[in-house]
Amino acid sequence: MGNKQTIFTAQQLDAYQISCHSILKLYIFLTFPRLFYRYRDLAPQLVPLDYTNHPDVKLPYELIGSMPELKDNPFRQRIAEVFSEDGEGNMTLDDFLDMFSVLSEMAPRDLKAYYAFKIYDFNNDDFICKSDLEKTLNKLTRNELTEDEVRMVCEKVIDEADLDNDGRLSLEDFQHMIVRAPDFLSTFHIRI
Amino acid sequence: QSYFLFLRFLVVLNFVSFLLIAAFVIIPSIVFRSVGSNLANSTGNEFSKLHFNMSWEFCHLDLHLYPPPIHSMGTAARVAVATGGSAVGNYSMIVFTGWDFGCLGDRATRLKQKNIHYRLQVDLEEESRNKRAAALTLCQKIVLYSLRIFMGFVAFGLIIGAFYGIFEATNFSQKMSEEQGILGLIIEYLPSIVITAGNFMVPLLCDQIALVERYSPSTTIIVALLRAVFLRLVSLGVILFTLWSQITCEGNTSSGDCELCQYSHRVYPCWETRVGQEMYKLTLFDFLINIAVLVLVEFPLMCLYCVFVCVRMLWLGRQEFVVPSNVLGLVYGQTVVWTGALFCPLLPLINTIKFFILFYSKKITLFNNCRPALKTFRSTTSTFFFLVVLLFGWGLATRSVSPCPHRIHPSMGCGPFRFFPTMWSIVPTSFYNLSKTTQEFLFFIGSQAFSIPLFALSCVVMCYFIALASVYGKSVALLRAQLKLVSCWH
Repeated sequence: MGNKQTIFTAQQLDAYQISCHSILKLYIFLTFPRLFYRYRDLAPQLVPLDYTNHPDVKLPYELIGSMPELKDNPFRQRIAEVFSEDGEGNMTLDDFLDMFSVLSEMAPRDLKAYYAFKIYDFNNDDFICKSDLEKTLNKLTRNELTEDEVRMVCEKVIDEADLDNDGRLSLEDFQHMIVRAPDFLSTFHIRI
Repeated sequence: QSYFLFLRFLVVLNFVSFLLIAAFVIIPSIVFRSVGSNLANSTGNEFSKLHFNMSWEFCHLDLHLYPPPIHSMGTAARVAVATGGSAVGNYSMIVFTGWDFGCLGDRATRLKQKNIHYRLQVDLEEESRNKRAAALTLCQKIVLYSLRIFMGFVAFGLIIGAFYGIFEATNFSQKMSEEQGILGLIIEYLPSIVITAGNFMVPLLCDQIALVERYSPSTTIIVALLRAVFLRLVSLGVILFTLWSQITCEGNTSSGDCELCQYSHRVYPCWETRVGQEMYKLTLFDFLINIAVLVLVEFPLMCLYCVFVCVRMLWLGRQEFVVPSNVLGLVYGQTVVWTGALFCPLLPLINTIKFFILFYSKKITLFNNCRPALKTFRSTTSTFFFLVVLLFGWGLATRSVSPCPHRIHPSMGCGPFRFFPTMWSIVPTSFYNLSKTTQEFLFFIGSQAFSIPLFALSCVVMCYFIALASVYGKSVALLRAQLKLVSCWH
């Protein structure tokens, strides 16, 4: 695999990622009733039962973050931000469906790696830099590591995973590292 | 979790061995005893022949119960080989794939976070240790190594001291076996008491010694485990040795007491029973101590924890479920049973019941009292390790018991072997009772015409497997290197 020039915009890339995966379309088709009713249960007065007119309904982040599957996850805010259209965590039904289809067991590894990268990229600059890593570590250990330890672990991670030596992790670096992780598929999975 | 799987495996093993022994020995002997008193001598002879044949089978049964564990050990070893090795990408693995997104509940989340925290800390500490160790001057290194050697001797001396204590206790208990009442009970159980005390005190002291030795954490754990294994299994060997020396007057069969029957018949009219009794006492005492510890130590702590919230802040904390020492207890119990099975047929059944009860009580304790140990024991290598220790215990049991059929004269007063000069002689006797063709067939198998080609064939097969193993090992290493290359290139 050589270097490919990608000429899509970020939005087009996102849409491309999910829509071209027919297996995810199948997943959404199979689980749609269950997912729709879970979405509706969050705010029955806001979500109409009749979607034929494509109503523009967005559930605020607070409701999404209170779901039992996401309530205790330290990354719930980032997950909601990544999958929401407006980037603030307020999700339409489409966003909701996309989120749970990527986090299901049917999503392929590349797609999961792409979204995991976006989740860990806190400042949305398409690179996981040191500050992103520090934030990730603090969420992982509930701020219990000392500053020195955080610094050392970040340095080690960048040493191990940064292949183009620019001091930060690009999507390619991240994907190469994920290839070597046997249990990534089972950990990046939410059952609903 | 691997602990409970191991425990379940041992329960099944014990139960199967008990069933086999029951089928071959206990039922015929019960039948014989209830019927024998009525029958005349003619049929009595046939029954006794049948009985002796069954006794021979039971004598060798317990030694052959090991093949299934060897098979599972092979599987565990295979997994360990395939996944073991380099820790490349360790930190990035933990950071990016360590979090289980499906983790639900506040408690589970906190636990997982603590787990990740601990893993990162351990890795960082190991790194800083290595850096410090590399930076030591020559003089400091010499001091450290000589300290370690000295402490090794101290630990060894402690263990030898424990053995000597067990030796004296066993001798004392055998001499004073005529006492009655509570004192008699204590004296009877004296070896078990000394063993349990030793198993408790010596690891504590070894832990203190380990603080001085300052090995890296993983090495400390391995060294502590090895010492504990050595202590437990060899203390069992010490008991057997003392018993043997008393029964056979220290191997000198022509001295004093042992001259008439080649064993000390006045003190031990039925020595097999006595040995069986000792094993039975050990098992029983071990079980009682386990239950006592669970009930008297862990339940009060749990009650304290529930009632006084402030206790949570104290150093008492919650009991941690330490996997290795619990597994060691299991292996020790199993070795005792294997040693005693030859002399006490009901011992496997007792052990089955004991492990069964222990399984459920430990499960209750684990879920209610203990917080999970933060130091997660890697499960594949640990299964392999448990089975290796079990194999060692089995080897010890076999080694201790196997001289008995050959050398020591069975007791004249009791037991199924009483009319034979040694237990082993029942094999040739029953062999000659088989039909002529069977005898010829077995002779042929034993003869040179058959065994030498068989030996050669097994050598060839073994060479084939060794070659196969080396090829697989090479291909595993090659694949790993390729994976590294592919990921670095791009």
